[in-house]
Amino acid sequence: MPYGVMALIAVQVLCAIFFASDIVADLRTYAERGLSLTYLSFEAAATASLCAAILFEVRYVLDLLRRKASLERSASIAAMALSDVIEAHFDQWSLTPSEKDVATFMVKGFSIGEIATLRGSAEGTVKAHLNAIYRKSGTHSRADVLSLIIDTLMNEPASNAA
Amino acid sequence: MPYTYVWDLFVRVFHWSLVVLFAANALVIDEDSKLHHWVGYAVVVLVGARLIWGFVGTRYARFASFPPSISGATEQLTEIATGRAHKHVGHTPLGALMIYNLLATLLLIGLSGYLMTTTMFWGADWLEGLHKLAVSWAEIAVALHIAAVVYESRRLKINLPRAMVTGYKDMGPE
Repeated sequence: MPYGVMALIAVQVLCAIFFASDIVADLRTYAERGLSLTYLSFEAAATASLCAAILFEVRYVLDLLRRKASLERSASIAAMALSDVIEAHFDQWSLTPSEKDVATFMVKGFSIGEIATLRGSAEGTVKAHLNAIYRKSGTHSRADVLSLIIDTLMNEPASNAA
Repeated sequence: MPYTYVWDLFVRVFHWSLVVLFAANALVIDEDSKLHHWVGYAVVVLVGARLIWGFVGTRYARFASFPPSISGATEQLTEIATGRAHKHVGHTPLGALMIYNLLATLLLIGLSGYLMTTTMFWGADWLEGLHKLAVSWAEIAVALHIAAVVYESRRLKINLPRAMVTGYKDMGPE
């Protein structure tokens, strides 16, 4: 669990709120306190980059959680390597997080109905995700997707993927 | 079960009175006035009643139905990360954390505010600082709470604000 990163994000959010409110207070009174606008813009730039870092970390944590969810409890090296190969394909096809989740279930052999139940969505939504997956990967069926992945596995020794 | 009754009358009246009283005290009422004190005490009484209701109230109002849980919160984040949408009937784990945060912060505001009026702590600067810090924290938390309600309403396709008015959550086809 990325609890450390989550705690870091929480602390940085507090810092960002503190700096942002400080800038707002400075903006109200900078003239009478003789602060320069250059100084204030440096402050603002530093705070903005902190916010950017927070957004980056949030995306990182969500990605970690998604990967963990698709791996579930399979801890064997072979499963991890296979998962890396699958994940690389999903990244290459630029699937959205939802599409990656659906694609993972599809590769694992779940039916549309089962995927809908697992994801708490309607079957129509799952079908829309599947269509997007086929379109982005240039395939037409589940079997096509699987052969693309298996193809890579056979061309690359497993030790490389791990 | 498209519509499920989740928020009893007490919870709804508690929620919206708290909204009115906190907003009035934090934004409108003069902080040196007698009214500010009385509205503050009313908030503490409301929170106190909610704490009791958390043990004797209806099913989804009880603390036992939404215990603070880091693993539950991580699970909810995983759902967000994977685009899964499992609808919780009562409070979600992240929502529960926010409720405990708000209840504790409001009590801290009430306690520090009351102590400022006692002869023992009269004019103590650190106490006033604590009071103001807690109010700022509560305001940030309220902003986050509203943002989260909007986000979760869109993500889960449940009108959460309406559920807090009518008491019924639209759980959709299951």
